[in-house]
Amino acid sequence: MKRFRRAALYAGLAALLAASLYPLVWMFVIALRVPGDGGWRPSLEHFVSVWRSGPFDRYFLNSVWVAAWVVGANMLLASMVGYALARRSFRGRRVLVLGVLATLMVPRQVTMIPVYLLFAKMHWIDTYAALIVPFAVDAFNVFLMSQYIQTIPEELEDAARVDGAGDFAVFFRVVLPLARPALAVVAINTFLTNWNSFLYPLILTHSESMRTLPVGLALYAQGEHSVDWGPLMAGSALATIPILLVFLVFQRYIIEGITRGALKG
Amino acid sequence: MVAARRASTWLFLSPWVITFGVFGLFPILFSFSLSFLRYDPLNPAGAGFVALGNYAEAFRDRAFWKSLANTGLFTLGTIPATTAGAFLLALALDRRLPGRTIFRAGFFVPSVVSMVVISLIWKNLYAPFGALNALLKFFGFGSVAWLQDPRTALPAIMAMDVWASVGYYMLLFLAGLQSIPRELYEASELDGAGAWARVRHVTIPLLMPVTLFVVVINTIRSLQVFIEVFVMTRGGPMNATLTTVFYLYDVGFFKFRMGYASAIAYLLFVLILVFSILEMRLLKRRA
Amino acid sequence: MRKLRAVETVLPAAAMLALSLVSLFGCAKKQTGEVITFWQFFDSEAIRPLLVRFEQAHPGVRVEMQQLTWQSGREKIIAAVAAGEPPDLCELGSTWVAKFASDGALLERTSQTADLRDGYRMWETAEYEGRVYGLPWVLGTRALFVNLALFERARVDSLPRTWQGLLEASKKVDGLGSDVYGFGLNSGERYVLYKKFMPFAWGNGGAVLSEDMSRSVFDSRQNLEALRFLTTLRASSLLEKQDVLDRSFIEGRVGIVLSGAWLLRTLEKEAPSLRYAVTLVPRPDAGGTHASFAGAEVLVSFRGSKHPQGALELARFLMQKENAVALARAVRSVQPAAVGAEDDPYYREHEADRVFIEQLRTAVGTPPHARWAEIEDIVNESLEEALHGSKSPEEALREGSKRIEALLASSS
Repeated sequence: MKRFRRAALYAGLAALLAASLYPLVWMFVIALRVPGDGGWRPSLEHFVSVWRSGPFDRYFLNSVWVAAWVVGANMLLASMVGYALARRSFRGRRVLVLGVLATLMVPRQVTMIPVYLLFAKMHWIDTYAALIVPFAVDAFNVFLMSQYIQTIPEELEDAARVDGAGDFAVFFRVVLPLARPALAVVAINTFLTNWNSFLYPLILTHSESMRTLPVGLALYAQGEHSVDWGPLMAGSALATIPILLVFLVFQRYIIEGITRGALKG
Repeated sequence: MVAARRASTWLFLSPWVITFGVFGLFPILFSFSLSFLRYDPLNPAGAGFVALGNYAEAFRDRAFWKSLANTGLFTLGTIPATTAGAFLLALALDRRLPGRTIFRAGFFVPSVVSMVVISLIWKNLYAPFGALNALLKFFGFGSVAWLQDPRTALPAIMAMDVWASVGYYMLLFLAGLQSIPRELYEASELDGAGAWARVRHVTIPLLMPVTLFVVVINTIRSLQVFIEVFVMTRGGPMNATLTTVFYLYDVGFFKFRMGYASAIAYLLFVLILVFSILEMRLLKRRA
Repeated sequence: MRKLRAVETVLPAAAMLALSLVSLFGCAKKQTGEVITFWQFFDSEAIRPLLVRFEQAHPGVRVEMQQLTWQSGREKIIAAVAAGEPPDLCELGSTWVAKFASDGALLERTSQTADLRDGYRMWETAEYEGRVYGLPWVLGTRALFVNLALFERARVDSLPRTWQGLLEASKKVDGLGSDVYGFGLNSGERYVLYKKFMPFAWGNGGAVLSEDMSRSVFDSRQNLEALRFLTTLRASSLLEKQDVLDRSFIEGRVGIVLSGAWLLRTLEKEAPSLRYAVTLVPRPDAGGTHASFAGAEVLVSFRGSKHPQGALELARFLMQKENAVALARAVRSVQPAAVGAEDDPYYREHEADRVFIEQLRTAVGTPPHARWAEIEDIVNESLEEALHGSKSPEEALREGSKRIEALLASSS
């Protein structure tokens, strides 16, 4: 009976896994085939034509540079803020929380023009700053960190305080190490959103040398009414491969890091 | 001592306060004030004060109501499915199962791909001669005009959305499951509780903070669904997939009525706020 | 307890410092000579050679070109105009010109382009209330694509010239099997259906607005006949979005589609062995014209543009016959606005491309109404209602016309 249930569980999971991966496999199939005589033949043609359509090495570096800064800033700054939110009571807390929640709840389509106006006045259009600083503390991450820090027993901090540690020492020596699983989630989450971010980099950069990968790819293969599926999927695959690699290389840390749990580590 | 603590509190908060004040507050206040104006972005000087005129118009606007209905359907349909699916996957993959790393990674992979790319791929799968119809044909069914039939277009997008986001929330639930001390399970096992009772009385209550987070974040995201519609259907056919954010985007950038678009955005904002607060109340009481 | 690591104290400070340094990045760009900023939608590889030649002919002038995406280009233009920092020269779709001009966002070019009027087609796409606000650079129209192999299999021996011919051919091809459709009918896409229905209406003498744009003629007999025809055609059609229809044509699943020149390029690349022909949009059975939709890519400058003169020079250069032909050849989705472009050897050698230029002669543009987007939305909704069968053609047109009337009344 137990064996049967286990087999059923496996079969179910395997079916779901196939459904989960199939669309992405399909993306690679479209990207890697070209019409041959009467059918299809595998080829890297689409990748080559996409890569040749612009300075993709530069786009790639821009994406990496911006993502690295945004991820680093969020891991540090969002946990600082999340900590204060979880542990401290302060005047204006409600207002601040509501205000920041509001930034998540107002559709970006209406804040886009004000954002552009602001950046134009600051002369930040077409700079890295415009792609990094506004995203350095993401509200989503703040709430995630504060949510997680609430689950850490406060006694551990008190013990450190008794040992004479100051506020920042407690934060860095006790809270941050214990919050590693949540930090991992913050890191992945930020990296994913940032790597895939399209609208703001598109609106806020002008020159080719400032473009990020998604922006560079969007310029190719999609006309007003026409779609070149091969190059389009090759471009999509190009944008996805780095992130897949990052995920596969770090997945031990990402997933196992989360599952090991910090309380015992 | 109190003063020092207060100072450090604000020091901790400062990154947030600064970035929020500059990059969050200004655009919000600006766009909020636009909602009381007749504002054409091509002619900012010609803006005129219309008081609550834009809001009043929304209440009379058929397309706006239609978009709210679609958005509501999308949210009510996807959130339970995504939350339950993510929770069950996390439960299944939390146990010691050979190859669980592969499963976890496999389910998570869709979330690393950008929504634009996902929508493009699925548009291809849903095409009249695409993979999905080929599958139907293989099993002897007729083909379905997934994105062209007003009855199936929105459900098709909803299914894609669940597919795309379930792995991410699974990961959050996995993280939450890890923070439940094993001793609690052991204690309830000693009390003679079965597997299901353990899930009900230990796992679900203790996962409430994570569930709350998952549901609220997903609500905020779902009520603003845009990219999927933008890439796949542009609101059609017959407005069957016209969501509120897509509608306000069309009003603002194609009809150049940014004031009215802002009013719609803030009506939606109120709705998101109300929903989130309701969810927080409801789920907190359960915990 | 571990000692506080230096890294952990230094890190926040370093991060803050670095962020502020990054902010200064990019502020100090050096600029020499006149720099003309030019935003456009075509593949930058197709434009760049032309810009190089322009720069060679104008020493000291540099063109900073930016390619916009079709998906989000308009947001970018609108945001830049709203912020008062628009480009010097910009490509605008002809459907936007009236709106931009009525808002006073564009620079008037009437007298500066007087000498060009006879050399180029479709100035009306760049005009608003009798004044010229831009230069028609390249044009785009739609023609009828026919799959010859499917026609042979279905025993259709001539290209459809009339509605009746189209309907019969569509029915025959549709009868070939369950995985083949006769005609590709557009649906489920904003701002497209209009371009596919109106050719039939225009060919029949119909229109959406009266000549002076003061009232709706959307429920006219001519439009009704055209819509009735389309609903009959529907039975043998695949109802889909344009890119899916094109794809289905490439895969040999649809016998006839109404599409743009971009399909020529895709066919050459992806289905080199497919036998097809391109012909004019069919006309009504008794009389009428082979009408089609025509759009223009118009080169405009804005009120806030910093180098309007240089921009005008560049626009005049780009629209010149040989330059526009070079662009049209490279992108193969548009036709030059320059008169006589069809005499270029390229068009003499490429018959299918030449059909598009011929189609332009009977093609019609969008009425230059400032609130056209809203009107087109109503048109689109009414057509969908009729095609999906939720309303009869009469009812759909009558209600649509009423809504257009209401909109016209509210704006005057």
